[in-house]
This record gives sequence, structure tokens and C-alpha cells, in this order.
Amino acid sequence: MAYPSVDRRRVLAAAVLGREPGVPGPGPEGEPLRAVTGQIRDVSPHLILVETPEGGSERLVIAPWAKAWHGADVTPADLPVGARVVMRTREGRVVERIWADTIRITGTIMSVEGRKDVTVELDCGPHRGRRTILIPYRATGRLRVRHPQFEPGYLFDAIGIRKDGTALAMLPATSQPAYPARSVPAPPPAYGGMTSRISGTVTWADAFDEDERGAAYPMVERSDAGCPDAGVSCAGLPYLAIGSLLQVHNVCDGRSVNVPIVACGCLAGRFCDRCVECDTSPRGRIAELSPLSYVELGGDLVKGCFNAQIGLG
Amino acid sequence: MLASQLPVLIVLLCLGTAAKVAVIRSGREPNALARLGPAVLVPGRFRAPALLACGAAELVLAAGLLLTTHPIFRFATVAFFAMSTYVLLELRRRRPDAGCGCFGEVSSAPVGVRSIARTMALTGMAVVTVWAPVPGWMAFAQPSWEFTLAGLLVLAVLSPEIDELIERARHRAPCEQRRGPAEGVMLARLRSSGTWRAHRAELTTAEPYDSWRELCWRFFAFKNHQQDDVVFAVFMAGRRPAVRVAVVEADSESLPSYTPVSA
Repeated sequence: MAYPSVDRRRVLAAAVLGREPGVPGPGPEGEPLRAVTGQIRDVSPHLILVETPEGGSERLVIAPWAKAWHGADVTPADLPVGARVVMRTREGRVVERIWADTIRITGTIMSVEGRKDVTVELDCGPHRGRRTILIPYRATGRLRVRHPQFEPGYLFDAIGIRKDGTALAMLPATSQPAYPARSVPAPPPAYGGMTSRISGTVTWADAFDEDERGAAYPMVERSDAGCPDAGVSCAGLPYLAIGSLLQVHNVCDGRSVNVPIVACGCLAGRFCDRCVECDTSPRGRIAELSPLSYVELGGDLVKGCFNAQIGLG
Repeated sequence: MLASQLPVLIVLLCLGTAAKVAVIRSGREPNALARLGPAVLVPGRFRAPALLACGAAELVLAAGLLLTTHPIFRFATVAFFAMSTYVLLELRRRRPDAGCGCFGEVSSAPVGVRSIARTMALTGMAVVTVWAPVPGWMAFAQPSWEFTLAGLLVLAVLSPEIDELIERARHRAPCEQRRGPAEGVMLARLRSSGTWRAHRAELTTAEPYDSWRELCWRFFAFKNHQQDDVVFAVFMAGRRPAVRVAVVEADSESLPSYTPVSA
């Protein structure tokens, strides 16, 4: 579905209600992180050259303490040329963390086949369609122990890599919720109105455009977003629109960023899990960020979530 | 006197049907059904049909009681309530966490002694009406007030749903979290407001080119003859809600061309 003027919505809503239209981008606190994405053209122990999605190229310095992940921890110089990377940089040009070909596989299990290498078909929501993934034998143990209900109708969330066009799941991204995907628990009752900030867990998804900064938010009106599965969450979220500005605050390292809501987070709303990144968060996924926004907030793609608070930007 | 409980039974059966249909139509997540009534005793995919079948049976009984004096409907009503009593006892034994679902999701509190006593009282009422000489519509036309009211009072005392409704009215979810009225309903409310009449002449079309909901407001965006944006914000609660309007120049990024007006 096309949203004719979602960028304009924020300006119009601010004008009619007499409030400030927020500006997307990082908040004042802390040294800003910059995330860079692209495809590796050349890599050496100290320098990396990537082609950005706009077609330009960027040459960055690899810090001596930099770490890389490509299905397992590797040294940056071992990354294959041609891999798609997301990098966290300090002061604009110094790379300190590289994630190569990293994908996030979130969905409802449709079918499970295979005995050693397991092939799983997932339903990733009305906007993202279906995808088929492979769990290599060496990863099945780790994944199955965090996904005890490995059968159709239950949720699945893993982090993996893309290899030769196949999506391989490597690590569990969460402990699987114990209920079927369609039986999300109701939010706790809200007595005496809403609080201005809501806590929960923020995750990332790979279903955004490569260089997009934005969030998918579960609580949007079904008719507005054209998404029959929206409007479900166990976190007691307020209704917002596609185009609203969300202020996301990373409780773990104190950064905050204003990100626009660009999609409906039908699937994020179905997870009523916690993040235990720096403390135990309240239940419920409150937003799903694009990889760039997630990294700029200080998140680690491999860990899969951080404890967060959101407010209206 | 024998017919005095007929109106109570008919109204109650109709209410039961309406509430059950409302639960199904509200498109609730099936987990809501998983806590409701005899439906929990059947497998997941039959739950909604089971609830609907129960509602349909109630409607048929209500219609039979209302229109005819045929004993089949009356004995069927006795059998229905007697069976309900048995089902509730069974439900209480097998799924102590499930609600009776008699009136849809309002009856989601676990089955207690009151719910069971109510179906027993209803069975008694149904037995009394078996020998009533007149059909239900006659009982509505010439009610014997004291017996009917006594029946209603007994049922009210035995209904846990009334407590639940009072609780819900006291602790409603804030409007930010409630699903709002449909877009068409809000547009109709906008069009009946004074603010709309004051600005209608400026607009090129009466249909908005964009509409969205944020927190408790629904926004409608229109174009005026200068191709500027005219945006209305309608508050989601109340029949005659607050309406605000602003005109934003097509190329401006932030400032409205005049201050917002409150209706």
C-alpha cells in the first residue's frame, strides 16, 4: 500500500495541534555513533573500502580493537569481498564493529522439514511475505533449546547470515514465547491514564531498505496501515500512525534517537518477550528498528535487542 | 403467573446471542475465546463455530418462546438450561480458569457458584413456563410486573457480569490505547461540526486525500483552491468532539499560516 504523504503527516499534525514538529536524528547526549552500510570492495587489516547503496564508495579506518561477525567472530581482514556489511563507526571514519551478511529471521513457523539440516518455512507478516530458511546441523542445538515449541503456529526469531542466496539461522535472538503466534496476551490494565514514556524491548529487522532509518511500530490502526494483523501488543502501547516520530531511548547506554515510523510492526507486536541486555526489561516489543537506526542507538545486531523507552518525538 | 418469566427468558436468550455474535465479530484474538465458556472444551479451530452454534440455538429458542405455545420449544428451553448447568459444572471441574462465556467476553471471570446458581434458577423458570397458557408476545403485552421483576432481581443478584460491567466502566483503558471508531464515522463527525462548515467552501473536494490516527486524534488532510493543505484534527472521544483546523502552505515545513482554531 502506498502512503501518499507520510512525511507530511508530521508537519500537518504539529501545525494543527500547535506543537513542535520533531526532527529525525540523534538526541543531544553522548558522542554520536554513525552507522555505515554497503558492500565490501576491498578489505585489509587497517582499511576497508565499501560501496554504499547510493553508489558512492567510502574508505574507512579499522580500529585496532575492531571486531567483526560473519556467522561467528572473525577478524575484520578475513571478511569476504562482496559481503554486505553494517558498520558502527566513531568520529565518522573509525570502524569499531562490523557485521557482515547479518540477517534477522523473525516469523511464524509454517512448516519444519528435515532431520539433520532443518528447513523452516516462515510467515513474516502481510507486508514481508514468506521466507524459507535453513538451520545447519551445528546450529540446531542452540536454536532448539531456545525454541522448545518447534512446530507450525509458534513464533521463531533467530539471527543468521546470508550465504550463496540461502538464509542460514545461526543464533537464537530470543527465548521463544510459549503461546501460539495468534494468542498474544492482553496488555496489563492501565489505571489512571498513560505514562508519557513506555519501557520494553527494541529489536531490529532486516526487512527495511538498506539505507533506511526508521522503525516498525505494532500499534497502528488496521485500516490506516492496510495491515490486518496490526494493533496487537502486550506492552500497552498507544496508537500512532505511519509517519509519526518516535523517540527511542536506549536504556543500556543512554543514547536516544528520533526515528520516523515507516512500517507496521505486525510481527513485533506478537512477541511478548523481555530483553536481558543490561537489565530485565518489561515485557513486550515496543518497536522494530532498521539496522542503521539500531546500530546508531548503540545496539549490537548479534545480541538482537536492547532495553528501551519510547516517547512521542 | 405461569407466563410471567417468559419475557425474562426471551430477553436473556436474545442478549446471550447478541453478546456471542459480538465477540466473534470483534475479531478478537482467538486466545480470548480460549478463556470463554464451553468453547474451551472443544479443539481450537471449532471454538468460534461452537460459540456461534450456541448463540443460534438461543435465538431459535427465543423466537419459539415468543411466537408459539408449542411445547417443543418450552421443553427444549428447559433442556438447554439444564444442560448449561451441567456444562458449567463440568467446566468448573475441568477448566477452573475459564469463564462461562454466557454473555460473550463480559463473562470471562471464572465460573463460580453464582453462575451455576443462575443457570439453575433459569432452569426453574423454564420449567414454570412449560405450562404457561399464552405465547411470549402475549406475556410482553400483559406483563405481571411483580413476578417478572422478582425474576429479574434474582438473575441480577446471580450475575457476575454486572460487577464486571461496573468495573469496566470505572477502569476504562485510556483513549490512546482503545481502538477508535472507523474512519467513516469520524469523517461524519467532522462534517457535522461548525469548524467544517466554516471551511467547507475553501476545499477542492469533500473527500480527504489522507487520513491517519495518532493518540486520541484523527487527522484528515484536504487541499484548498490554492493547493495548500487544510488539515482537520478530530478528537476520538465523544459524539460532538473537539475539532481543530490549520492551513499549511504547500511548501512550508513547519509554520501554519494562521494559528489553530478550537471548536
